[in-house]
Amino acid sequence: MPLSTQSQDDEEHYVLVASLDNARNLSNILKAITFKDHAVFTATPNGLKVTVEDSKCLQANAFIQTEIFQEFTLKEDLVTFQINLTVLLDCLNIFGGNAVAGTSTALRMCYKGYGYPLTLFLEEGGVVTVCKINTQEPEEPMDFEFCSTNVTNKVILQSESLKEAFSELDMTSDVLQITMSPSQPYFRLSTFGNSGNAHYDYSKDSDMMELFQCTMTQTNRYKMSLLKPSTKALALSCKVSVRTDNRGLLSQQYLVRNDDGQICFLEFYCCPDEEVEEE
Amino acid sequence: MKCVIEGKNAKVFGRAVHALSRVGDELWLDPTVKGLALRSVNSAQSAYACFIFSPLFFQQYSFMGCVPKQSSKTVKCKLLMKSLLPLFRCLTSIERNVERCQISVSASSDWVIIQFFCRHGITKTHNLRFQEKEALQAEFASHLCTNVLKAPARLLGDMVVHFPVFQEEITLSATPLRFSLRNYEESGESQVKMMYTEMSLHPEEFEYFHVDVNSEITFCLKELRGFLSFTESHCLPVSVHFDSAGKPVCFSVEDVLFEASVVLATLMESKSTDSIQPVGTQVHATSRCVDAAALRVHACEGHGETGRERITSSQGSTVSPHPDPIPPLPQTQQANKESISVNTSPASSMVCTLLFKALSSEQDDNVCAATPPVLAGYSDEEMMEEFCPKSPSL
Repeated sequence: MPLSTQSQDDEEHYVLVASLDNARNLSNILKAITFKDHAVFTATPNGLKVTVEDSKCLQANAFIQTEIFQEFTLKEDLVTFQINLTVLLDCLNIFGGNAVAGTSTALRMCYKGYGYPLTLFLEEGGVVTVCKINTQEPEEPMDFEFCSTNVTNKVILQSESLKEAFSELDMTSDVLQITMSPSQPYFRLSTFGNSGNAHYDYSKDSDMMELFQCTMTQTNRYKMSLLKPSTKALALSCKVSVRTDNRGLLSQQYLVRNDDGQICFLEFYCCPDEEVEEE
Repeated sequence: MKCVIEGKNAKVFGRAVHALSRVGDELWLDPTVKGLALRSVNSAQSAYACFIFSPLFFQQYSFMGCVPKQSSKTVKCKLLMKSLLPLFRCLTSIERNVERCQISVSASSDWVIIQFFCRHGITKTHNLRFQEKEALQAEFASHLCTNVLKAPARLLGDMVVHFPVFQEEITLSATPLRFSLRNYEESGESQVKMMYTEMSLHPEEFEYFHVDVNSEITFCLKELRGFLSFTESHCLPVSVHFDSAGKPVCFSVEDVLFEASVVLATLMESKSTDSIQPVGTQVHATSRCVDAAALRVHACEGHGETGRERITSSQGSTVSPHPDPIPPLPQTQQANKESISVNTSPASSMVCTLLFKALSSEQDDNVCAATPPVLAGYSDEEMMEEFCPKSPSL
């Protein structure tokens, strides 16, 4: 196997080695959070976390657990670096983005530590490509201090129903208003566009609603431009959890099954629009 | 006005909206005792479409104001197509998910409320702003047409599919022995590069074929295609009423639950575009169909309050939703007369003017002030009489 013909020296120097038989198990997930060029990679014994942020109001995290990788070796407790995500995705798809039946690109991702580039060994059909991508000083990801104890409202929905709603949303509306309440309308998405307003109501008894835990009535508005990136994650997912805390911060968690049926998570945090007008 | 449409009919309603969106940018909503009328006209006033859904189509239908204290006047309104069409964009999704669709218009607010009650306990509510507007109606006496055909479902659709998508106009040619459709190109364009398509049918292909006068009419294809998509999906035979060039052609279908028709202006006989342009015409449509005689379309009050032409067809298909005979009131004719400009073009050109104007309410004595600018203002009084014998003073 060509990928194992590296020198033993290099092997000892890598602080992170992660291998996948199918690089799409990583690239598909990362495509859902490519709304900005740069991402921070954080590797811990739990697996890999990739973070992308926008204007301090939006943060997306992709979690690929250790179990997803065929090999995951970490020599330090925490390895983190910043990298150009667009370039990384281009490299992961270097053999062509389209999936051809029966073939897959194998990946071996190696990192020697601070100051070193990220090295990718990609192989398909006996052809090996080596990519070295420069890494940067990682910016500290924002900590939104979103913890379960502050969660006021939580619902878990099957993605199918939300996918349709999001595809029909009136894009002339600047904001998406989310209302969660223990009483009617339970869970409501509202837009205020040029021709009028629209409301999508999900009843708490809906069979699309897997979990409904709302303690207080909350209405928050979020900029449509900040929610748009999450629609890619929604498209990949089979379930989504929507939570708000007492500050109106929105947390969306998407459960995604990869090509091999394994579970990965995507998480989005979004700050509410400050100019909230009570209706 | 409040009406409830049961699941599978919501798709039919959506198809009507799609067909109307191929005609114009605005949709007129007119609840009447006979049913809910949806109408649209294109910017050049060369195409008009009307869909009337009878009360039987709805699970529930009440066209008066819901609150007894409110005036019994119903609300007629105009919506932007770009606001309404997205709600019905995905017909397969509507078919799959919608259990009930409720449409209500309240005279006291500015909103048309369209609610979709979907499977899985999901409710979608759309509040659309509307503009209160008198109902729209084309004056077209289809029973006066000399030529009438009734084509089985799919026949016309199967014919027009052969024309390229970009084909703007087609020419329908009918004699007692033959019916044909061919593409139309303005003379002067390079004859070498074009592809001519012509399809002929024997009268036996039609359910009913009555051609008194040989005629060749040219009209816009785009609006007709939208209408034919609707009729094909319901497998309904299409009636065609037409006369000679310059007079409108009407395609219509009828069913227990609804009636639908599209009236298209046809090119006038004179080939030269110069002679067609009357003095003082404001022509601002981009479509070639502006050369066609513009349709007589006007807005009118509901329920016999003011004058309106009664348009019925002896063949059974009708453009008018109102069964009541309403004689035109004097002020109507006076107003029409005011907007007709004097004929200064050569007498040889056969031009028939059709006017577009909105009738104001009967309280408004100064009708002229309310009328929008006339788009094509040349008339031949003799032609008018022939066309609309009920209004001799026009």
